[in-house]
Amino acid sequence: MSTTSLPVTGADSLGSPEPRSGKPAARLADARRALVPYGYLTPTMVLLVVLMVIPIVMVIGYSLMDNVIMKKNPQFVGFKHYIDILTSESFWTAVTNTLFFTGVSVIAHLLIGLAFAMMLNTGLIGTRTKAIFRTIYVLPWLFTVAIIAVLWRLLLEPNGVVNFLLTASHLTGTEVEWLSSPETALFAVTFINIWAGYPFYMTSLLAGLQGIPADYYEAAQVDGANAWQRFTAITIPQLKPIIISMALLDFIWTTQQFALIWMTTGGGPLGTTEMLSTFTYKLAFSKYQFGTASASAVIVLVISMVLAFFYVRAQKARD
Amino acid sequence: MRKKYLAGIAAMAAAALAMTGCTGGGTAPSASNEGPVTLEFAQWWEPELPANSLRSLMDKFESENPGIKVKLISGPYASTKEQVVAGAAAGTMSDVVGLDGAWVNDFVKQGSLANLTDLMKSANFDESQLAAQVKLDGSTWMIPVANFVYPMFVNDDLLKKAGVAAVPTNRTEFAAAAAAVTKTGKNTSGWVLPLDTATPNGIQNDVMSWVWASGGSMLKDGKPYLVGNTEVKDTMTFIKGMYDAGSIAKGSFTMKEQDKVNEFTNGRVGMMIDSLAHVNLIREENKDLKFSVAAIPSADGYSGKRGMPYASWGIGVANNSKHQAEAFKLVSFLMGKDVNATLCNSAHAFPGNTQAVPDFVNSDPIFKQAFEIYQAGTATNEFTGLPVAEDLMRSFDEQFQKYLAGKQSADDALAASQSAWEKAFSG
Amino acid sequence: MDRKLRRLLGKIAVLIALVVGALFAGLPVLWMLSSSFKLNTDIFAYPPQLIPPNPTLEAYTAIFTDPVKVRFFLNSYFISLSVTVLTLLVAVLAAYALSRFEFPFKRVLNVVIISVQAVPPITLLIPYFGLIMFLGLYNTYPGLILTYMVFTLPYAIIMMTGYFNTLPRELDEAVKVDGGSSWTALWRVLVPISVPGLVSVGIYTFMIAWNEYLFALTLTKTPEMRTVPIGIQLLMGQHSYEWNQMMSMSILGCIPILLLFLFFQRYFIGGMTAGAVKN
Repeated sequence: MSTTSLPVTGADSLGSPEPRSGKPAARLADARRALVPYGYLTPTMVLLVVLMVIPIVMVIGYSLMDNVIMKKNPQFVGFKHYIDILTSESFWTAVTNTLFFTGVSVIAHLLIGLAFAMMLNTGLIGTRTKAIFRTIYVLPWLFTVAIIAVLWRLLLEPNGVVNFLLTASHLTGTEVEWLSSPETALFAVTFINIWAGYPFYMTSLLAGLQGIPADYYEAAQVDGANAWQRFTAITIPQLKPIIISMALLDFIWTTQQFALIWMTTGGGPLGTTEMLSTFTYKLAFSKYQFGTASASAVIVLVISMVLAFFYVRAQKARD
Repeated sequence: MRKKYLAGIAAMAAAALAMTGCTGGGTAPSASNEGPVTLEFAQWWEPELPANSLRSLMDKFESENPGIKVKLISGPYASTKEQVVAGAAAGTMSDVVGLDGAWVNDFVKQGSLANLTDLMKSANFDESQLAAQVKLDGSTWMIPVANFVYPMFVNDDLLKKAGVAAVPTNRTEFAAAAAAVTKTGKNTSGWVLPLDTATPNGIQNDVMSWVWASGGSMLKDGKPYLVGNTEVKDTMTFIKGMYDAGSIAKGSFTMKEQDKVNEFTNGRVGMMIDSLAHVNLIREENKDLKFSVAAIPSADGYSGKRGMPYASWGIGVANNSKHQAEAFKLVSFLMGKDVNATLCNSAHAFPGNTQAVPDFVNSDPIFKQAFEIYQAGTATNEFTGLPVAEDLMRSFDEQFQKYLAGKQSADDALAASQSAWEKAFSG
Repeated sequence: MDRKLRRLLGKIAVLIALVVGALFAGLPVLWMLSSSFKLNTDIFAYPPQLIPPNPTLEAYTAIFTDPVKVRFFLNSYFISLSVTVLTLLVAVLAAYALSRFEFPFKRVLNVVIISVQAVPPITLLIPYFGLIMFLGLYNTYPGLILTYMVFTLPYAIIMMTGYFNTLPRELDEAVKVDGGSSWTALWRVLVPISVPGLVSVGIYTFMIAWNEYLFALTLTKTPEMRTVPIGIQLLMGQHSYEWNQMMSMSILGCIPILLLFLFFQRYFIGGMTAGAVKN
């Protein structure tokens, strides 16, 4: 995906109303034209409404009920579950952990993705060498979460490869319990998530880099800008739209990361890696409190809607 | 060129739709009384058994019961519970389902299981042949088909190397042996304790088992009894002592049952409490490992009957099944003396039918020994049938970890667990 | 400093950085590859050995000789390819509307498209399952394909809208002047020059569909309908894991995606791009 800063807006769009004439035929044509975008959007809307909005509305309904799913006749309890959740200490621990996990992951994904993309885009290295490294760099992306969790559990075991390498090279004296010590567990799962997620940024940014016209750089070079200045003055502003979109999506996705955490630490040790996702899962499938679990999900939804609103508004402003 | 693109995309889309149209999956059998009945049997056993062993039993059942077909639906163990809950909520649960004792109470509350007492009655089934039934409110909901008991496994070579002459029989000997084994090498430990909270069954198999082995209980009149329970507290301090002494393998707090077995198989742990289901696995993977099984050591001076934890492959019938009578035929088939013995033979489990005697119990020295321990003690699992049993284990686990990490006292851990358990019991 | 020397030093620095990065990215995968040729017990040997001490193809033959497991792969390919093609088709239409038209509720629609992805899937599981049963899509390919389309569409729409926004409007105006409709402008002009964007979004879409586990498990029940992630999970038993088979299954699973990536990467790396078109 490539983006440039050329201001392209919908203001002069094909569908914009033309000077109206009073004739009914023309008015009909106007109405038809106004419907055109909806025509294009119909398949999307049908899918999203039927398969996403309906279940979400059902979840919102559950969040207002007690004994939902587990009993035949659930009762309406209003916002009780929301109050329970918002006053529960473990919820806020989960929020804090999730923010750390997500924030660090998104920033690291971006930095690593950008660094790798820049290295793979440099003119200093031959095309074939770049192709080899590109292939290696994309590897973490190719595996299902379950296998990523299992692989890293093996590597980070007290008797695993990572500890072996560290002790053999005398970087640490004894084996570190990466995933099972309360001091390191959150960092360890965050690290795994960073490893698994950066290729998404890397490939998108790499594509974005191709889209920056070469003459921008040539002009800058003529002006005497050094590499760092070219990077901050051209590369970053040019990539900004992609970066913002990806960071927003990555943020939303990472807050939901469940399988990776569940299969590596299960939210432990001592609750240090408890995330909103594991917290919600336990409510639903271990305590069978689907009402409370739904309330927790709706809270996440509302926060994301606020984020999405600001994102869309910022985009509008940029246009 | 462009047209080609479009045509290509259109063709692929059309092919996708066409293929999806004609390959719908298995549909539910019609409810008519005439034609053949197809039972769905959802379980996690098939992938755990030797290839085709469960299917061949089903073939036998089909030939004995013309007009009934069985479709095996196998899922991963870790996700079975969610699938049953979702299926029950939508009224599409499989007719016959594999169950774990820890789930029964919750499924009964959800109304997803059929009352087996009624089904046994209408089928004139002889209950006396059953080794156990999981009852709630006076009715049976689950029947254990195969039982996996958890004795103590001992790495004979490591104990010998550590100078431990006899297999420990009480806690003092055990702690001493564990400390001695730990000293034999940089990567060896005396004992291994999986406490992962995603699958907190370590609390049942590796912690509470010590309580049960000394005749203790975590319940009183079916209610949580943790505060003021000296047997539970003694077990906790006993484990904490070994934890502080460094006799327990590293990584406990996120270790799973499968990891525990790997540590033992690779000769890095002297002793573990584990399912007999693993005996063959350990043998296959490390032919040179010399190991034996023994009863779980008891508190010093205890001489009563020893409880030994067990996990079951249980079976139940779905409440939404349209063919409950046929479904129960399958249950009674699996519980029958010979079939039960065959199944348990392939699973290396102890039978749910009292008269069934699987061959391996006599042919294999380790299983023979285990069977003797099993018969001398009592199979105990207090979590079976409790409400939100998995959550009980988890909340205890969390408090226990805090205690081991030195963040709270044993009494605080017990008090916190007690209040969590009471909330779960009343909820 | 001499220009040539500086270039050489820069080259060496970049190469070193590339190698360090490759170790970070590739070592865990290399370990996975080596484990797939090991016996289960050798995976846990201490000290760990990168070269399998008793190399074996046991794990691979176990997969290839089991028709059920081969079927997992076929299902995954079919579902992922269908999802990719259909998602791109639907997303292109929606992105075109969002990029080129002004209409009421556009902003609301944008917010909805972004935030529907924010509900934790695990809480959607039960209502979603009921819905799929109601629609008669349980245990069918369309059930899974439509589900994954819902997961991938938001991303695809957002990215394709951004992509179309970079394409100059004069392009579609020209079509209009020639008397063509907006439909013609989309398919004759915009889509053909958007191939790099389509490929990039397509690869991502494919990945999501290929790796999804929870809904694949819940919405199917017979072995004929299961996908690779379920196959991998089935190797994680109640009591023990088939470590080497899990590793070999995921290695086998990733090879075709890697080939796909290698084949398509020329489209979005140094290929035809929006920037090039503009100049």
